[in-house]
Amino acid sequence: MQWVQILILGLMLGGVYAVMASGLTLIFGVMRIVNLAHATFILLAAYLTFFLYEFLDVDPILSLAVTVPVMFLVGIAVYLLLFPRIENSPRFVESTVLLTFGVALFMEGTMGRTFTGTYRLVRPTYGTESFLIGDLYIPKGQLYALIVSAVLLLLLAALLYGTRIGGSIRATMQNRTAAQIVGVNVRRTMALSFGLGIALAGASGTLLSFLFPFFPASHWEWVPIMLALVVLGGLGSLQGALIGALGLSVVAAFVMTELGPTWQPMTFFLALFLILLVRPQGLYGKPLEA
Amino acid sequence: MPLLQLEGVTAGYGSAPNIINGVDLEVEAAHSYCIIGPNGAGKSTLLRAICGVLHPRSGRVLLDGEDIGRLRPDQVLARGLCFVPSDRALFPAMTVRENLEMGAFLESDKRVIAERLERALEIFPVLRERATQRAGTLSGGQQQQVVLGRALMMEPRIIMIDEPSLGLAPQIAQQIFRTIASFADMGISVLLVEQNVRRGLNAAQSGIVLDLGRKVLEGPAGTILTDPRLRELYLGRQAEAAAGSGDDGRA
Repeated sequence: MQWVQILILGLMLGGVYAVMASGLTLIFGVMRIVNLAHATFILLAAYLTFFLYEFLDVDPILSLAVTVPVMFLVGIAVYLLLFPRIENSPRFVESTVLLTFGVALFMEGTMGRTFTGTYRLVRPTYGTESFLIGDLYIPKGQLYALIVSAVLLLLLAALLYGTRIGGSIRATMQNRTAAQIVGVNVRRTMALSFGLGIALAGASGTLLSFLFPFFPASHWEWVPIMLALVVLGGLGSLQGALIGALGLSVVAAFVMTELGPTWQPMTFFLALFLILLVRPQGLYGKPLEA
Repeated sequence: MPLLQLEGVTAGYGSAPNIINGVDLEVEAAHSYCIIGPNGAGKSTLLRAICGVLHPRSGRVLLDGEDIGRLRPDQVLARGLCFVPSDRALFPAMTVRENLEMGAFLESDKRVIAERLERALEIFPVLRERATQRAGTLSGGQQQQVVLGRALMMEPRIIMIDEPSLGLAPQIAQQIFRTIASFADMGISVLLVEQNVRRGLNAAQSGIVLDLGRKVLEGPAGTILTDPRLRELYLGRQAEAAAGSGDDGRA
């Protein structure tokens, strides 16, 4: 029965991973931005959740109602401030790597100065409780995070497939020129998508805030994990990100119990290496044009 | 007053020199024009400068007297001017039907969209059979039909088509050109850019010849085709080769 237990733990984290990865892959898919600062936005939302909990006693899950819209606006502001300047760069994708790396350092420094380097963790009561079903142990916090993640991903799917804005986002992802031709305001769509991607980062940050302790530099732990998730699925593919997230989180859970927690991060690096060797475009990705 | 009027339009990319140099042009309603000229003459650039993808450096683009030269592509489109680029920009992961429906993106009335879809499927019956297939898996000719069908879904007043025959077998291209030739009868003005002079001019009522970014010849398609100046201006450089091999005028 032990493997069922591990599978459950892996899948529960997979939900949060999927929310993180979907934001990152959406941003790449629509705008070709490789957002190395994605995890710093996750942390920013985690801090926001932390302070809402500490000072106003707001439950972290309820605080999504604040963090998601705030991060959406932060995303749009960051997009408008930085990216139109490099829009016509002949090496746009490469430029975004440098630019977002700079943003990550700036965010880390600012958060370090403002929030100090102390480890933080939001501690709602369900953060340490669990359900016991038969022999199976299900941590409440992770279960709630999974449920919220599933709801968020369903909402994302409804937005993308059921609304006009979603239509313009999907159209821009598939072919920017074609989107422009049929009358999509591509610029506005890109700003909205960046906002949406950062809002998803915000949602995952809020969920992570009661699952893992964090401090301003801990975003570096998440960067390789997220890259592995989205590269496995194929950069820019949402279903790929979902499958990558669930798959790798389960594998990582098994690695952790069989080989020990030290090896867990290696799972993601190893996966990244293997994918790039065997199938660089990922499961659902299309090869990147030069 | 012509539907669309260009006055001394110059345009180019980035900081590079002008590709088109002071082009004047008048496009009448429900009339088709084929723009021909050797490689680098500025044919595609001219279309881009009209549809808002590229903004003219100087000169005016007037649609019904309104200068549309600084508008975004979606704003130009909303005024009834649509552009079909040569790379058949379609949405590969969407079905044929979804691709067509995207053509009516600016229209929100579902009934109107359904009507337009029905009309497009009548013009391109193959697409009805393929309605649920992903557009990325279609053959080149079918993809071209999707792109043209999608353009019709926009209910354009002017449709600008850049090299529709690119990469198509001659027979398929012939079929595409027959359809394009029928657009003027549907009340739509056509600006067609084509490398193949004879095929292009046969599908249009008027011809416009560009060379080095300037308009050098204009007139009824049939007259242009036999105009000695065309041979001189356009085929001059390859006249021997073209005449010798019985080539139909492909540059």
